[in-house]
Amino acid sequence: MLHFKVKFIFLLICLWTVALSPAQATVNRIEQSVFRITNFQQSPDWQSPWKLKPTGRGQGSGFLIKDDLILTNAHVVSDSRMLLVNKISSPEPFLADVVAIAHDSDLALLKVRDSKFYLNLIPLKLGGIPELRSRVRAYGYPMGGQELSRTEGVVSRIEFGTYVHPGIDSHLLVQTDSAINPGNSGGPITQSGKAIGVAFQSNLRLNDVGYFIPVPLITRFLNDMKDGKYDGVPEIGVETSSLINRHYRRYLGLPENTAGILVDRVVPRSSAEGVILSGDVLTKIEDMQIDAAGMVNYGEQQVTFFIEAENRQIGDLLKIQVWRNGKFHDLSLTLKAAPFGAEMRNSYDELPEYLIFGGLVFIALNRNYIHSPGNLTPALAYEHWYRELERPRTRKDQAVLISRVLPSSVNSGYTNLHNFIVSTVNGKSINTLSDLDKMLKNMPQDTRHVVFESEWQNIPIVLDYKKSLEQQQTVLKRYGILAGSNLSGMQNKGTQ
Amino acid sequence: MIKNTISSVILGWTLICTFLLLPHVLQAEVPAIKPWFKQAVLLKSYQQSYDWLTPWEKREIRTQTGMALVVRLPVSENTESAGTADKQGLHLLTTAEMVADATLLEVTRKDIRQPFQAKLVLMDYAANLALLNIEDSNFWHGLNPIEWSPVKSKTKADADKVYSLKIKSVQEWEVESGTIERMAVGHRGVSDAWLALLKLSGVSKSGQGFPLLQDNETVGMILEAGKGEAKAIPSQMLLEFLAHAGSGSYKSLAHRGFSWRRLPQRSTADFFQIPPELPGIWISRILPYGTGSDVLQRGDYLTKIGKWQLSHEGKIKHPEWGLSLFDLLFLDQLKVGDSLELELIRNGKAIVLQTRVSAYEEDGRTVPLKRVGHPPRYAIQGGFLFQELSLNYLSMWGANWRSRAPVRLRLFLEQNKTVLMDDNYKNVKAKSASKNTESAPRVVLVTQVIPDEINIGYQKLSNAIVLRINGQEIRRLKDVGEAFLNPETEFHRIDFLPGSDRLSVILPVAGLKQSNQRIKNNFRIPKLQSY
Repeated sequence: MLHFKVKFIFLLICLWTVALSPAQATVNRIEQSVFRITNFQQSPDWQSPWKLKPTGRGQGSGFLIKDDLILTNAHVVSDSRMLLVNKISSPEPFLADVVAIAHDSDLALLKVRDSKFYLNLIPLKLGGIPELRSRVRAYGYPMGGQELSRTEGVVSRIEFGTYVHPGIDSHLLVQTDSAINPGNSGGPITQSGKAIGVAFQSNLRLNDVGYFIPVPLITRFLNDMKDGKYDGVPEIGVETSSLINRHYRRYLGLPENTAGILVDRVVPRSSAEGVILSGDVLTKIEDMQIDAAGMVNYGEQQVTFFIEAENRQIGDLLKIQVWRNGKFHDLSLTLKAAPFGAEMRNSYDELPEYLIFGGLVFIALNRNYIHSPGNLTPALAYEHWYRELERPRTRKDQAVLISRVLPSSVNSGYTNLHNFIVSTVNGKSINTLSDLDKMLKNMPQDTRHVVFESEWQNIPIVLDYKKSLEQQQTVLKRYGILAGSNLSGMQNKGTQ
Repeated sequence: MIKNTISSVILGWTLICTFLLLPHVLQAEVPAIKPWFKQAVLLKSYQQSYDWLTPWEKREIRTQTGMALVVRLPVSENTESAGTADKQGLHLLTTAEMVADATLLEVTRKDIRQPFQAKLVLMDYAANLALLNIEDSNFWHGLNPIEWSPVKSKTKADADKVYSLKIKSVQEWEVESGTIERMAVGHRGVSDAWLALLKLSGVSKSGQGFPLLQDNETVGMILEAGKGEAKAIPSQMLLEFLAHAGSGSYKSLAHRGFSWRRLPQRSTADFFQIPPELPGIWISRILPYGTGSDVLQRGDYLTKIGKWQLSHEGKIKHPEWGLSLFDLLFLDQLKVGDSLELELIRNGKAIVLQTRVSAYEEDGRTVPLKRVGHPPRYAIQGGFLFQELSLNYLSMWGANWRSRAPVRLRLFLEQNKTVLMDDNYKNVKAKSASKNTESAPRVVLVTQVIPDEINIGYQKLSNAIVLRINGQEIRRLKDVGEAFLNPETEFHRIDFLPGSDRLSVILPVAGLKQSNQRIKNNFRIPKLQSY
C-alpha cells in the first residue's frame, strides 16, 4: 500500500514536470529576450527653434526579433542622445544604436554595440493575427519598478485607429484588456510562445484599454527595410464618405445588393490621382467586396478597406473596382507614399528649420509648432490643414511664418508680433524658408526696406534692410544664439 | 506740566476746527436724495434668452433688478410714434442690457407699492440704452423728468465726488459716493461700438440704470458697478440719444468708420512716404458704416480730424478731458450730420477730404456679432438643422469659446471675411463685410442632424458648412428654403465645404414632407423654420 502511494506521488510529480516544463521553458525563453530600454533624449524647443529642451530620461521595452536586432517602438527611442539596454534582472546596461526607424508605424530596430549581449538569447518568433477573445500576455518594463512585468488579458477588438506617435497615421491595431502602461511600450504581446504584436499605446481615459501593433505591420516594416532604406506605409490617397443612407445609394444608381464607399476627394500627388475620381464609388478592392461603411472582411472581423494598401509596399499594384457613370470599372493603381509632406506628422530626430533676420524669427509651420501651447489659431490651422482642401495646389512647400521677435532697435514697434504668416517679401511670393534666405541675401544693393506682407494681416512689417544686416550678429550674440539659421533639416542626434 | 499744557492746546484747537468745518463737510457729503424719489424708479426685468443650440427653445428665466430714470423726449412731429402723446413726452430710460430678451418688465415707484408693467419703445445696443413706456397714466402722476447736466472733469468740478444710490429695499434708498477716475473709450458689452465711458472708483452698491450726481446735478447713468469700481454713461450721450430717440429715424450715436494702427517705427513711415515726425494714425480697415468710411482708404495716414491734431497714439487734446483717444470727440464735439474735414497723407501727398459725421450701424459682417433680443434663425429639412454662423452660436462653447469652439468655424471670424470656393473649387471669393446687413453673405451651417429614418447614415454630421443645395449657392439662411423648392431630380443634394465630416448628402424629394412632419412631432418643434 505504501509502495503504491509512493509510486502515485512520483507519477503526479512527473506529470506536472512533464506538463509544465516546456511551457515554463518557453516563458523563460521569452523573458530572457525582453529588455528594458532607457532613452536619454533631448527634443527641440519649437518656440525657440535654436534651442533644445533639457535632457529627459524615458523608459521602454524591446525584444529580440532576429539574431542581433531588437524591435521596439519608435517613440521609445526618438530624439535620443544615448540608449541603454538591460537584460532581465541584470544591472549591466549595454549601449545600443537605432538601425531603422519608422515613425509612421511607431516601430524601430536597435542593435547593441557589444556582441556579448546576445549570448544565449533566442529571438522571438512572430505569430499571426490573434482571434478575438483569445488570451494574450504582455511583457515589459512599465513604470513603478525595475523588474520585468507580465500581465494577461484577452483580445477585445481589432480595428483601424490613430497612431499617437506620428499623430496623423491610422493603421490596424489590436485592443486588449491586458495592462499596458507607460514603459510597456515596445514590449512583446505573446500568444502560444510567439510574438503577435508590440505594445504601444493605451487610452488613459478608459479602463483596461491597451493597444498593440499587430504582426502584419511589423512584417511590412521588416520587409520595407530589406533594401536598407525605409520607404513608408503606402497610402491610397482618397477621402471617403459612407453610403449607409439608402437614398444616396439609389441616387447613384447602384444596383440592389451593391454597396461601396463614396470617394469625396482624391488627394493630389497620391496613388489614386489619375485613377480614381471624386464621385466614384469604390466597390471592390483586391476582389473583396467593400460595404457601405467602407469595410472589408479581415479574418473574423471587418476592417476598413485601407488595410489592403497597408500590408503592401510602395510600388505594388492594387486592384480596385469602381462604380462610375452607371457602370463598374476594374482599375489598378500603383501604390505611393503618403501624399503629404513631413510637416503634417509629428517631427522627431530632426532639428527645427529657422531663419533669423532683423530679430524676426522665421520658421516653417509644422505639426509640432501648431500643437505647441497657444498656436492653434484659425489662420495657422487654415494654412496647415484647410488651404489644401479648399484651394488645392495653392499650398506652398512650406508655410513660412514669423513665430516671434527678438527685440532690437531695428524691429522696435514689432516686438509683440507673433505668428505672422508671410505671404510676400518685397512683393514676391516665397515658397520655402530657403527661398526667403536666398531672397534676403540677394537683395539689390540699393534696397532700403524689406517689406513682409501677410494676407492675414492688414499692416505689413517694414524693416530697414541695411540696419537689419548690420545688427544681425549683435542680435544673435545678445540672445545667445549660435547660428542665425538652420535650413538643412539637420538631424537631432548626439555624437557618441 | 508743560507737556500737558501743549497737549491740551492742540486738543482744543482740533475740537474748534472740527466744530467750525463740520457743516461744510456735511454739506458736501450729503446730496439731496428726495428729488430722485420723483425721478428714478426700480426696474425688475424677467429675461429669457434663446438657446442657439436648440434654436426653437428658450433658456432658463433669470431676473435682473436695476433702475430706470424719468426722462422727457423733445417734442417733435414724430414724437407720437414713440408713444408719448399723453404725458408730455415722459419716458423711462435704462440700459439695453437690463431689458434685452425681457419677457416682463416691472417698474416700482418708491411711493407706490404696486408695480407697473413697462413696454419697450426703443433699444440701441451700441449705446446700451433703452427707452420704456408705461401705459397706465397713474404711474406718471407726480413724476418729474431729470434735468441733465454735462459731466465735468475732476479739475473743473467744484468737488471731486460723485454720488449714486444704493437700494436696500423698495423703501430704503441710500446715497453712495465715489470719485471720477477718467473718461475712457470702450465697448458696451452688447456691441462692438467704441463709445465714451465714465470710469468711477468707490461706487460698488449701485446698479444698472442708477442715476449719477455731480455738484448736485444729474450727469450720467450707471452701467455697471462692483468691487469699488463703476462705469457710467455720461449725460452728453444720454442727451444725444434722447434728442433723436423720438424722431423715428434714430440709428445710433456718432462713431468712427475705420480701424487704425499706430505706425510701428520710422522705417514703416519712410516706406509709406510719411514724414517721420508727422503725428497721425495708419488706417488699416474701412468699416461699412461710420464717420470717414465714405472717403478714407486703407493705407491713408490720418493726421487731423476737424480742428483736432492726432498724436502717434491716436489721441487728441479734448477741451474737457485732456489727452484722450479721438473717439471721445464723438461724446460732445462731433454730432451725427456735422460736416467734417479730414487731413491725411495718401500716396505720399497731403490732402484734405470732406465728410459728415455718421452713426454706428449694425454692420453686415459675415459672422454677426453677439446679439441680444433677437431670436435665432433656423430651418429644418429632413432633420438637417440649418443655422447661420454667429457669435451667439460660437458662444455656446462657453466663456472660453475663442479657444474651445471648432477652429474651422472660428476661422470665419478672422479679419471678418470668409473664404468660400466657387463651383469649380478653384478660385477664392474673399467676401468682406457688406454695407447692407440684409444682403450680407453669411456662413450657413448644418449644426446638427435631428435623427429620423430619412437621414440614417448622416447623423454624425455637425457644423458642416453648406456650399450648395440643389446646385444653388447658399449665402444666407433664406437661400435654404428657396433651394429646397427647386430639386433638379427626384433627390435633393446638399454640398458641404471640404473639411466637413462628409462633402455631400442626398435626401429624397418624395417623403421629405412626411419626414419633416415626423421630426416636428417627435421632437416637439413648434416651427420647422424661424422665418
